[in-house]
Amino acid sequence: MKNTLLLPHSYKRTGIIILLPALALGILVRFFDFTFAFLTLPNGIASIKNKNLHLSEQINLTDELALTGIITGLLFIAFAREKKEDEYIAHTRLESLKWAVLINYILLLVATWLVHGFAYIDVMMYNMLTVLIIFIIRFNYVLNNSKKSFD
Amino acid sequence: MKNTIRVERAILNITQQDLAEKIGVSRQTINAIESNKYVPSTVLALKMARLFKKNVDELFLLEETD
Repeated sequence: MKNTLLLPHSYKRTGIIILLPALALGILVRFFDFTFAFLTLPNGIASIKNKNLHLSEQINLTDELALTGIITGLLFIAFAREKKEDEYIAHTRLESLKWAVLINYILLLVATWLVHGFAYIDVMMYNMLTVLIIFIIRFNYVLNNSKKSFD
Repeated sequence: MKNTIRVERAILNITQQDLAEKIGVSRQTINAIESNKYVPSTVLALKMARLFKKNVDELFLLEETD
């Protein structure tokens, strides 16, 4: 069965290889204020990029790098073709995507009522990734379950 | 809907993997069909019928609730 909009199977491994270091970098940036000094933009460029910034504030692109890696890695994993991409896999894929979108918005609604103030920015940040994460977990869980043999 | 794939497979003495390879699908698909979690497309049903040399309605049977 033809299934367009999918990447070759090997992208699954590539995705993991991109995701893991990016995730580590993301955690360092988020919780330990880590930045690569060489990714700090010179003052001139920074003020053009964001006119609202005070002159003393500098833009550092470490977080951009981490998020790009995390999203690219997750996309590669989520959209890599299975070894044998057939009609049941395609069905499971769609079903899992439906699940992921639904659960994602339920979580967002719950968080909207429970989390207030600046912490809500964190919710929005994690929410950027939850659709892909829930999809990957659910899709692989179902496929692994139906791998268990009855032979 | 129920099906007799597992029985037919036992008669031919082939594994889920063998059957999957013969009709060009993944083993998960055969497993999902046998455990009634997935209803295959007409194309797949016809391929199975051809392999087992049976009519499709001998492999797949409607139930009261269908």
